[in-house]
Amino acid sequence: MTTACRGRVWKFGDDVHGDDGIIEFAIIRDSFGKEFDEAALRAMCFRRLRPEFPDQVRQGDIVVGGRNFAHHNHVEVSVAMRASGIAVVVVESCDAGFLRRALNHGLPVMTCPGIHVAVADGEVLQADPATGTVTLPDGRRLQSRPFSARMVQIWQAGGSIPLLEREFAARRAATREEDTP
Amino acid sequence: MHADQGHRAAARAASMSLAHGGAQTIAQKIIAAHCGRDAVEAGDYVTVSPDYVACQELFWPGHKRNLERIGVDRIPRPDKAVMVIDHSTAAAMGSHHHETHRTLRDWCDRQGIENFFGPGNGLRHLVLTERGFARPGTLIFSDEGNIASIGALGALNLPISTEVIVAIIQDENWIAVPPSARLTLTGRLGFGVTARDVIQTILRDCTADGRLLQCCVEFDGPGLATLSLDDRQAILASLFHAGAYTGIMEPDALALEYVRARDGGRPWQVVRADPGAPYMTRLTYDLAAIQPMVTLPPDAHGAVPVAQAAGQRIDQATIGSCANGRLDDLREAARLLRGRQVAPHVTLYVTPGSRGVYVEAAREGLLAVLAEAGATILAPGCTTCWGYQGVLNENEVLISTQQFNYQGRNGARSSRVFLAGPAVVAASAVAGRIVDPRPMLAGEVA
Repeated sequence: MTTACRGRVWKFGDDVHGDDGIIEFAIIRDSFGKEFDEAALRAMCFRRLRPEFPDQVRQGDIVVGGRNFAHHNHVEVSVAMRASGIAVVVVESCDAGFLRRALNHGLPVMTCPGIHVAVADGEVLQADPATGTVTLPDGRRLQSRPFSARMVQIWQAGGSIPLLEREFAARRAATREEDTP
Repeated sequence: MHADQGHRAAARAASMSLAHGGAQTIAQKIIAAHCGRDAVEAGDYVTVSPDYVACQELFWPGHKRNLERIGVDRIPRPDKAVMVIDHSTAAAMGSHHHETHRTLRDWCDRQGIENFFGPGNGLRHLVLTERGFARPGTLIFSDEGNIASIGALGALNLPISTEVIVAIIQDENWIAVPPSARLTLTGRLGFGVTARDVIQTILRDCTADGRLLQCCVEFDGPGLATLSLDDRQAILASLFHAGAYTGIMEPDALALEYVRARDGGRPWQVVRADPGAPYMTRLTYDLAAIQPMVTLPPDAHGAVPVAQAAGQRIDQATIGSCANGRLDDLREAARLLRGRQVAPHVTLYVTPGSRGVYVEAAREGLLAVLAEAGATILAPGCTTCWGYQGVLNENEVLISTQQFNYQGRNGARSSRVFLAGPAVVAASAVAGRIVDPRPMLAGEVA
């Protein structure tokens, strides 16, 4: 199974705010507790920073961020990017909470110091969360910390909940098999 | 520190810790004890089983859907779940969250979860400390980084957002061991200066360069002992704005006395850092050098001395939140408001952080002082901190002890939120504009 993601880069700068930059908290506040409105999240995703993003983003695109990317982020920030088709987020740095929230919703985030100066907006990048390898357009490679086996499982399942759904179903099937005389 | 250094240091942390001969930080020791290992290094991926999982109600409908989707009938350890309704305490008075309260209550009943705390009990942060869940050496998965406040008792908060439901379902979850930072406090706070001013100063200095990013910040030093437990929690609760993962303090006699009165015989163990333990960064702050601060909108690290914000007219003032909703904060506010009146054009909301704080504030007469001054006392919970109550109109200005000041947090995007400690907020509510609280505290001005 390949774990490398290859896609077109959307490049953002340092200190991009999650709740008041990637999405708009004032709009999502009243929907806490309800199902994610993925259409609304796609429509607001990055529009304050790059108004063309919602219309032009394609499935498999990659977001490259600077330092402290997506600080102050509710889970809707990760859902908005994943629902927009972003395959992987590669940043100079971010807080651990963002990395977890994103992965929990099936979006891998790689912290890769040096990435921001190494790639330009619109270039094609390859990033592999499982090995931690980021391959630049000119073939040079940057190395970030690889995901653990469990993190890869969560990512490839599309998030923690789909993975647990699958594992619990397998457990139930095994139990039924044991019970069959 | 150069801007890049802090951000890159996180990547180096794992290899760095190998050079310390096995000496462990507080966080490393607590995590190792909860994953069945003798030691862990920063960056290690491990699976830990928590002592408790603390969960709020706001995302409960989503958690419930996910439980049904996975097909979870019974959770393995209902005794570890601490379920608290704190974000939408006023749900039965005008929002859709009342249904959430019902379904969460019913689910807790079915699962045999005894640690369910309904609306009005207060914030998870205070429920965890006041009711003896947070004890030295305990590891608690929670949904928010600001619950690092429990670190004042030597308990480790590991925030995992909506993944709390994973920890509830499995009685374990994965983590990457955070690198540690050491922050030493010396001196003693000056007149009219609060713990909030300390953390605002730390955030001002340590956010842009990322030196606390992903860290567990461990506090020590003689200054720590001069701070009340409420003050220590106020500092820890806001660390996450600098990107820190969590924070903790070695519990002293004051903390241990507090824990013993609440542990109900449940076990705990004081965990101390080893000499030579690996810290990604070390910082020292002299409490005596801290001044009253105001954090300007829209950045959580935009703190300036109060003089630089003085004169800004305000429409609303709020005191509460997981940063400053404790008894010492209400005492400080009452000290300012006793015998004074909130300016006619200002609305002041005060939210005790818990039922315990509410009761004690009533016993001490603080609520009467606040109400007489013109404050509206809200039910314990998050209330005004996320714009659930006290919603701001276009161009309105708020000064608050709440956690956030970004645009749109409390209502209209054109509204502005200034953050400060309870002394600055209370004094500003009286003046109708942002003021230094010290002349008022000293009785030099009415």
